[in-house]
Amino acid sequence: MTGHAVPAWYRVSDSKAETRDTVTLTLAPAGPPIGAHRPGQFTMLYAFGVGEVPVSISGAADGPELIQTIRAVGAVSSALYSAVQGQLIGVRGPFGTDWGVADAAGRDLLLVAGGIGLAPLRPALLAALGRRASYRRIVVLIGARTPADLLFGAEMMGWHTAGAEVHVTVDQSQPGWTGNVGVVTQLLDRAHLDPAGTTALVCGPEVMMRLTARALVSRGLPAAQIRLSLERNMRCGIAECGHCQLGPFVLCRDGPVVSYQRAAPALAVREM
Amino acid sequence: MNDPVLAALAGHPFARGLDAGQVARLATAAAKITVPAGYRFFEEGGPASQFWLILSGRVALDLNVPGRDPITVETLGAGDVIGLSWLFPEPQWQFGAQAVKETRAVAIDAVAVMAMCDADPVLGYRLLRRIVTVATGRLHAARVRLLDLYAPPADASSAR
Repeated sequence: MTGHAVPAWYRVSDSKAETRDTVTLTLAPAGPPIGAHRPGQFTMLYAFGVGEVPVSISGAADGPELIQTIRAVGAVSSALYSAVQGQLIGVRGPFGTDWGVADAAGRDLLLVAGGIGLAPLRPALLAALGRRASYRRIVVLIGARTPADLLFGAEMMGWHTAGAEVHVTVDQSQPGWTGNVGVVTQLLDRAHLDPAGTTALVCGPEVMMRLTARALVSRGLPAAQIRLSLERNMRCGIAECGHCQLGPFVLCRDGPVVSYQRAAPALAVREM
Repeated sequence: MNDPVLAALAGHPFARGLDAGQVARLATAAAKITVPAGYRFFEEGGPASQFWLILSGRVALDLNVPGRDPITVETLGAGDVIGLSWLFPEPQWQFGAQAVKETRAVAIDAVAVMAMCDADPVLGYRLLRRIVTVATGRLHAARVRLLDLYAPPADASSAR
């Protein structure tokens, strides 16, 4: 059961600072690895002696190493953020549903990311760019708090060169910033979407995803072609504990990726 | 449609829902312009007597803050409208506006448009609906930004 119920051991082989509170770790197997992952899935990362948290996989699914991007927001994620080269980390997974990137072949692919939501979308983007001819347009819309909070900034030119249209906006400008300022939904009209031929993958804070999904539906995208990455309090990862229930979904199993068509009723319910 | 101003107006989202005659009347008060990066459309506090429909490029709405560089509060791009203040009594710009990169736009004489609207309430009503739609969209966006959605979450149970 190593990998799902019992953590597999991985060693930190690289740690790259993305922003002041976010790092991307490269994890190399230090024993039997977990199974192959698909874009959009997550793992439970265990900082030994501190605890375990769900973290989206942010790297391509093409090798034994795991690439995971972590924002330091609590005790466990702060411990993972501070992990140094050579340190052992426990990994369970991969868990959950994926973006279904291959299903969008022959269509326009729209990725809308807010904040650290770009991390789980990155494997989908890399997969699509790896099979660039299979898609029509690949459009990436990215919203961040400030220019300093942008993830993967150094890679964006490479995504553009590989055939993606990349548009970035920030909520708060900073001196020297000449890009867009405003919410990410304001970029939708500038993307000149073909609603009937577009599949949208959306990831970010839930309010941002709801507003984006609504904006896409109002522009004619079918709700079934809008996929969101939802999150609740993932704990066991195997749909046993129920901590991540959202209406009819146990998100560690039925999510994180759920179509807006299925998710919309649950997202409208007020929670305590 | 040989008149380039008429063609540009008719193709802009702002003119959606207007009939050909109404677009043609607006075109009599309009001109196509191309401005370089750094061009100032207007300054905060100045008289608001024009508005612009952006065809391409990017324009920053900014606000002077003593002791700091001007703060960009929002940027506008193709399909957007620059300038809503002309619609109100004693119109005065609330922000400044500067082209961030070369920008093509249709410049419209707001005083002439107000006169057209006063003379033709149907045109006035349709334009007002367009402007309310633009203003409401910006209000919604401003409210969402006030939420500061990308700030560190209070619930630290996950790293995303």
